[in-house]
Amino acid sequence: MRRRILYWSWHYLLISLYVLFAVFPLYWLTKVALTPNDLLYSEGIRLWPSRTSLEHFRFVLTHSDFPLFFRNSLIVSCTTAVAVTLIAGACGYGLSRFRFRGKPVLVALMLITQMFPLVMLVAPMFRLLAPLGLTNSLTGLVIVYSAFNAPFATFLMQSFFDAIPKELEEAAMIDGATRFGAFRRIILPLTLPGMAATGGFVFTAAWSELLFALMLNSSPQASTFPVGLLSFVSKFSVDFGQMMAAGVLALIPACVFFLLIQRYLVRGLTAGAVKG
Amino acid sequence: MGVGHDQGETEPEVTAARRRIANGAEPYVYTAPVLILIIAVLLVPLSVGLSYAFRDIQLLDPYSGGFVGFDHFRELKADPSIRAALRNTLIWTGVSVTLQFIFGLILALLLNREFPGRRLVQALVFVPWAVPTFLVGLDWAWLFNPVVGPLPGWMFALKMTRDTNNLLADPGTALIGPIVAAIWWGIPFFAITSLAALQSIPKDLYEAASIDGAGTFRQFRSITLPLLAPTIAITILLRTVWVANFADLIVVMTNGGPADSTQTVASYIFTVAFRRLDFGYASSIAAVLLALLLVYALAILSLRRLFVQRQW
Amino acid sequence: MRAALWLAFAALGLSLAPSARAATTLKLVEVITSPERTETLKTIIKTFEDANPDVRVEVTSLPWGPSFEKFATMVAAGDTPDVVEMPDLWLALYANNGALESLEPYLKTWEYTRELNQRTLQLARVIRNTAYMLPYGFYLRALYYNKKMFAAAGVSAPPKTLDEFVAVSKKISSLPGRYGYCLRGGSGGVNSWLMFGALGSGSDAFFNADGTSTFTDAGWVKGFNALAEIYKSGLAPKDSVNWGYNDVVAGFYSGTCAMIDNDPDALIAIGERMKPDDFGVAPWIKGPSGKSFPTIGYTGWSMFANSKHKELAWKLIATLDGVAGNQTWNRRIGVLPIYTAAAKDPLYTDPRFKGWFDELSDPDVVPMLMPTDLRAWALFGGSIVPRTSQSLLLGQITALEMAQQWASVMTKARQSQK
Repeated sequence: MRRRILYWSWHYLLISLYVLFAVFPLYWLTKVALTPNDLLYSEGIRLWPSRTSLEHFRFVLTHSDFPLFFRNSLIVSCTTAVAVTLIAGACGYGLSRFRFRGKPVLVALMLITQMFPLVMLVAPMFRLLAPLGLTNSLTGLVIVYSAFNAPFATFLMQSFFDAIPKELEEAAMIDGATRFGAFRRIILPLTLPGMAATGGFVFTAAWSELLFALMLNSSPQASTFPVGLLSFVSKFSVDFGQMMAAGVLALIPACVFFLLIQRYLVRGLTAGAVKG
Repeated sequence: MGVGHDQGETEPEVTAARRRIANGAEPYVYTAPVLILIIAVLLVPLSVGLSYAFRDIQLLDPYSGGFVGFDHFRELKADPSIRAALRNTLIWTGVSVTLQFIFGLILALLLNREFPGRRLVQALVFVPWAVPTFLVGLDWAWLFNPVVGPLPGWMFALKMTRDTNNLLADPGTALIGPIVAAIWWGIPFFAITSLAALQSIPKDLYEAASIDGAGTFRQFRSITLPLLAPTIAITILLRTVWVANFADLIVVMTNGGPADSTQTVASYIFTVAFRRLDFGYASSIAAVLLALLLVYALAILSLRRLFVQRQW
Repeated sequence: MRAALWLAFAALGLSLAPSARAATTLKLVEVITSPERTETLKTIIKTFEDANPDVRVEVTSLPWGPSFEKFATMVAAGDTPDVVEMPDLWLALYANNGALESLEPYLKTWEYTRELNQRTLQLARVIRNTAYMLPYGFYLRALYYNKKMFAAAGVSAPPKTLDEFVAVSKKISSLPGRYGYCLRGGSGGVNSWLMFGALGSGSDAFFNADGTSTFTDAGWVKGFNALAEIYKSGLAPKDSVNWGYNDVVAGFYSGTCAMIDNDPDALIAIGERMKPDDFGVAPWIKGPSGKSFPTIGYTGWSMFANSKHKELAWKLIATLDGVAGNQTWNRRIGVLPIYTAAAKDPLYTDPRFKGWFDELSDPDVVPMLMPTDLRAWALFGGSIVPRTSQSLLLGQITALEMAQQWASVMTKARQSQK
């Protein structure tokens, strides 16, 4: 009995530490966003300012281009998430169900694309996309982000499919269905949690990407919100209060989305891990 | 499965051949979109980028572009900054990934047990992953700043530091800042994947072991770890590769300083490419990094295969 | 018959219709971006668009932090604007690569050219004595000091010489948690290092007649060492080894350090957060030679050589830098004027600008122009100086060793550019 109490005390202590560690920096972000400018430095270390103000949030929402950037980020991230889930789903299914000669080559190629520092891809990619009119456009970003995320998304989807026995669609095919028909009517509904999880992962990755959003696009019409955050750093002052307020606003959808899908992620990966 | 076989033998040859071809092509149909996308958008620029390593590419000089063979690699060998950057990269990658893994695994073990409020806790501790890395760097830089952040005061009060100066200003301790930020951000990744793997281990294995009298630690060592090993190998591989290439946090928090004490190979590539505007030299460094990571990947994969073969 | 009539009407109608004027679009890129500047810029541009009804100006505002690499990437990929805001630090890179258009022919016929002050034309022509940009204003360093902190430490007046500066810093640093000098150890610190170095050397000559660098001369080394000593003896915050522009200004207005060397545009940020009675601006300190060498910088507008609308691009520059446009601009930006007559503008008779105008009228103050004509200057100032100066501040190398590294880079840069 005593051992159980000891165990659970440690358990709750550690859990609390983890939660504190995870949440405190976000709490601090919010605290800075709510601190009026004149108290930002003089009361910097306090856990809560003596006077809070919504001035930063108000400014970000009404005076900057932030709503536009937010909308652009939403468009790019959702489109990328949907597109990648579809093609990674197809590719993951192919890798899961078939054994074919090109398979190790494909896997190696996908692995290699993850290994090169993205910084070096900026210049060649700009040169590639500019003549196609894909720079300074949201479409260009969607294409680039899809390429970045496809390999890992494929890996995820493959493990979800591995968890579903091949026999299911083979039984359907014997009964006369095409493979694709079986896929659509039987397998797909079973992997919906997995697809939600993959979509969520990709959404989060696309939502926070900065380097390519900055380098490939220049006009406000094509800028996403991380680029917008940078605009609060001018040569003359870093408006930390406003930047943190913008950051908090941008975090909300990403966090909400992630909170919703993380449960499916664990469940989906669990099933996949059974097959190893 | 058995009943269908007779049908194949009675079908005419043409249809059988067509089906074979269709089957042969089928996997490619499914994998084509991803393949085309990554070849067109990633592999083409990657090869172009790698080719820069053998040419003189000055970003703003339209007349540069001549072939220089292995000159850049020779320059690389003689470059004193590279050695320091390599050392920092080893420390940065090794410490970040190891600690992310350990803390992530512990968290996963804690979450593997049912307890009241588990759902909420799970959601909260996974949130750091959703924060853009630029913001992560800025946030932690503020936390470590003695004027506006609480950490220097607390660390001094806990006798962890000798004074309340900024960690990031001392070359001996500056790398700790980005490492802590990276750990904060990266724990969810390991926690999620480890938790998934843990939950797939059949509970009866543990029950059987308990009946045999094995304690928690023994169970962990003989059941959990070996079954987790394949997942661990892949996630560590992926994470190491990402972290090694990851310059964002360092550039935002310390810009490689002070005095290059936090400069890693990835951030050095950024400096050479975008400050010196020398894309040729930067590409050669990137090529070397890529080669090192490939060697590392092969090592991990062969180790994993060895391990898996030994188990079963 | 009727058909012919209709055809005739149609033909008449077509010939009478005004020819469809295709609207020309000019592209302008601003790089030192802030919400207020963009707003002011758009106001001036509107006057240009009103005067030229079929021209539209497309403004791209780059965030300042990554603006250097972002603009370089754009230019390298062929995405060039017609007009760009050109900082002095970048000028050599673009002008020496043939990217910029010479403005000389336009200046010859411009109505306002003779009203520009001497310095404007001199600085416009640093590259091969040709105007590749037209400055909109100047940055001149001066000494900002915190009157409240001075009073608390018993200091009555701002220091006039290097020795007084150190003494005042010591007094202020003896107050707990306070420091004398906001040192800029991170990016952009090159100005401060050169100012202190020149104090020791007594001259602003960066090169000998044969093109070798003077940095290893005893005077320069003494000056560099003086600044390093200020940090090492704790007269500047320990954190300042990493400080950039925003950090030093924040350090000043948050009351962490009492003195800062900075340009007139910092008045905006400081003025917003400090009461006018709490701070003052004095001329920069003089060295043992009796002379002072505050750095002078400039930013302006340049035209790209591959612009397809050169005449219009010049008209845009002329609007931005004309007397009316420049006045509107500088009112918001707060740099020193390019027009001789502007010194009488009510903006500049404000007591806060007194420090700078005192400097400009003092014969012992020599505004020091940095070697911005060197192609390697951007790399030197942006990367080599922060790294090596940080090593010096942290005690990893000596002032002489740092000077030697600088000298070898500078000598090579000068001689390879001949």
